[in-house]
Amino acid sequence: MKIERSLLFISAGFAWLSILLQAEYTFFTPPGSFTVEVSLENSPYVRLPIYRNAITSLEVVGDYVLGGTSAIPGRSPFLFAVSLSKRRLERVLDMSPVLPGQRCIQSGFGRGPEGFLYGGTIPDKPGGSGHLFKFKVNGNEIEAFDLGTPVAGQGIFALSVDSSRGRIYGISHPSGNFFLQDLRNHTTKIFDETSPSKEILAFLHQYALKPADYLSRRLAIDQKGRVYGSQPVNKIFRFDPDAQRIDLLEDELPKVWGRRPLGRVDAWTMAPDGILYGGNAGDGQLFKLDPETGRVTNLGKPVMMPRITGLTFGADGKLYGVSGASPGYAHLFSYDPGGRGFVDLGNPRFTMTEPGLEQGIAWRGFQIGSVAASEDGRVIVLGEEESLSQLMVFPVR
Amino acid sequence: MKQKASLFLLTTICLSLTWAPSGASEVSERNIRFVDYPDFPEAHSTWGSIGFSTRYDKVFIGVTNHRDRVGLFEYDVKSHRMRLCGFIPDMANLREYQWQGKIHSQIVEGPDGSMYFTTDGGESREEYLMDHPHGYSGGFFMKWDPSSDRLTNLGTAIQYESIKDLAVDQVDGQISAVSYPQVHFVTYDPKANRLRDFGRLGSDHVPRVLFRDWWSNVYYVDWRQRLVKYERSGGRLIFARESLPSFEGTPGEHIITGITAYAVDRSSGVMYLITYGAKMLAFRPTQEGIGAVEDLGGIFDATLRPAWNYYCPNLALGGNGKLYYFIGGHGMYAEESESVVLMEFDPKKRSKRMALNFPLEVISEVTGSDVKDSAGNLYFAGRRNNPKAEQMGESGASRPFMIIFNPEKGTE
Repeated sequence: MKIERSLLFISAGFAWLSILLQAEYTFFTPPGSFTVEVSLENSPYVRLPIYRNAITSLEVVGDYVLGGTSAIPGRSPFLFAVSLSKRRLERVLDMSPVLPGQRCIQSGFGRGPEGFLYGGTIPDKPGGSGHLFKFKVNGNEIEAFDLGTPVAGQGIFALSVDSSRGRIYGISHPSGNFFLQDLRNHTTKIFDETSPSKEILAFLHQYALKPADYLSRRLAIDQKGRVYGSQPVNKIFRFDPDAQRIDLLEDELPKVWGRRPLGRVDAWTMAPDGILYGGNAGDGQLFKLDPETGRVTNLGKPVMMPRITGLTFGADGKLYGVSGASPGYAHLFSYDPGGRGFVDLGNPRFTMTEPGLEQGIAWRGFQIGSVAASEDGRVIVLGEEESLSQLMVFPVR
Repeated sequence: MKQKASLFLLTTICLSLTWAPSGASEVSERNIRFVDYPDFPEAHSTWGSIGFSTRYDKVFIGVTNHRDRVGLFEYDVKSHRMRLCGFIPDMANLREYQWQGKIHSQIVEGPDGSMYFTTDGGESREEYLMDHPHGYSGGFFMKWDPSSDRLTNLGTAIQYESIKDLAVDQVDGQISAVSYPQVHFVTYDPKANRLRDFGRLGSDHVPRVLFRDWWSNVYYVDWRQRLVKYERSGGRLIFARESLPSFEGTPGEHIITGITAYAVDRSSGVMYLITYGAKMLAFRPTQEGIGAVEDLGGIFDATLRPAWNYYCPNLALGGNGKLYYFIGGHGMYAEESESVVLMEFDPKKRSKRMALNFPLEVISEVTGSDVKDSAGNLYFAGRRNNPKAEQMGESGASRPFMIIFNPEKGTE
């Protein structure tokens, strides 16, 4: 009787184990990966409060991961600095005293002179004006400086910096104007070619799309200083900095039939050989753009969902990106330009070890809105866009 | 065949009675009774899916084949009759692409006397397929009206997400709920059809239990196992400063899973909580702010396993003022022989004892928080191991049944 019962337990145990093994509970958890707790409401530690911490802009400078956040309506954003070596949030700056009335730092950051990062804001209220700003970590503080409003009554949706020319380029929100600001003489030039016409707006209205759905989310600068972005419907524009002229490329963003209205650039990055890689938000295609020929190659969809919210190259020569977003959730993928194509790395799950959580907890990244790599490409960071967002870090070996 | 099975069960329980210290012989097999679910031969399991209607004196249980068929059962306390109310997909007119794996939530009485619950995808395909044609469309809020035997589908919360648990405001009927896998805390006002998403509160493993105090404030936990309160007066979330007590060495996966069961002692102003780290806590809620938490120690004292490593997704307060809970399930058992034990915990003396012991083919796991009738009967949703059910889905091979337990008198 005892033996029979033991056998029953053993067989039940094996059945249970085999079911567990069949399950899909495997995640992307490379050795050396970790999560830094950036947000915690009612925290005894230095943390960002709830609803003001969606990490929408991200850059790595030396040992610091520098982030800019977006808030819900009526609240203001933060800048923060995480030390990679110490694996902790070290500094935060509430932007409300620096730039009152602003809600989002969603532009992304550009690297400028003297170690400053440049960013732009979207105001809290429609009709308000966004500001350009620059900031850097200085000792125990984050120093930020207001650089004024490039387009009156508009926010700054996307931004890129050409440090060698001393220029900031941007896309305004909600109109979608392209602008450049000269850092040397503080002049701003606004171009309205990238802004959708009345006819295009009427067309987009049929699809119930808002500016945040169709404006170019990021800008890229090629090795010759030309600037690239998208404009409705599904088009790619190029700004020539010498001629100061905007042209549309003959090739469009990759499309799925009937879904062209959804097309816009979600993310850009440049390969060491100067080829630009981009993600199309509408359908989640990865594409490459050869700046010399203007040709766009559709590289396909890493996963079934839309969005590619971030792209960056690792030290191993592979492209890493995040695909998929709400109401689904993120998959991390890699793409080998050398010919082996995509690998869906799955949902990232990195351990969070913090004071009070010394044993560590597993943290899954569901909504990831920003991706950046360290200068040597050996560390990649992922910024969450949640009500309580955290920073996820993994090494590239 | 049914009689034979019942006889076998009773005999097994009798044989399994163990360890009854002197002065602790009040609870015996006479205090416990099992009730099968009729007309659902492929029934596999029950989860947190049990609740009591004070208005109609009935217990409601959601039973699943753990794949795509979920039955709602009703046990009438007066007639001792269990009946199948119907299957959720049929009663709610769900389309094929709206398949549901189970009811994971409690079944909660609302101020209108209806019973409210939510649905869950249940298996791996729920989480991973998403927008694939075989994917999961999302869990529903549902309302069962016992007076008319009518099920009303109140709609979904978040696309692709299951709804793991809910609480119902006893004043205005607002529902609070939590989604899976993205751990979003949401409220839904059925009268105004208003859904509010308060965002993500958790981490890798979704805490399964919401509970409310007598003012209808609702409680959940964040990833640090800190209480998070939905304060109904302000319609906002407030967070405790400190984590709930845990044993030293409790692994992170046990911390983030939070609370697994609760019981309410209204007269004493105490809510008893059991954590996934096997702590018994006394929580004294306050109408505003977050009340005090007292650590009452572990739910089981033994050296076989670390103190945090006992699984208990059930709890009820008996009419005698003592707490009762079954330990065991999901691979974590109190005894070396892998059995489920019924514990008695005296909160006044802070003493506990093992009252009964069941092999897994009799009881393998028990769920239910504070489900009881006016006669002092405590109700739990039980499962037992059954190799014949092996093909019935993930989460082990089992058959479900309801447990009636009365610590003060026989249940016959």
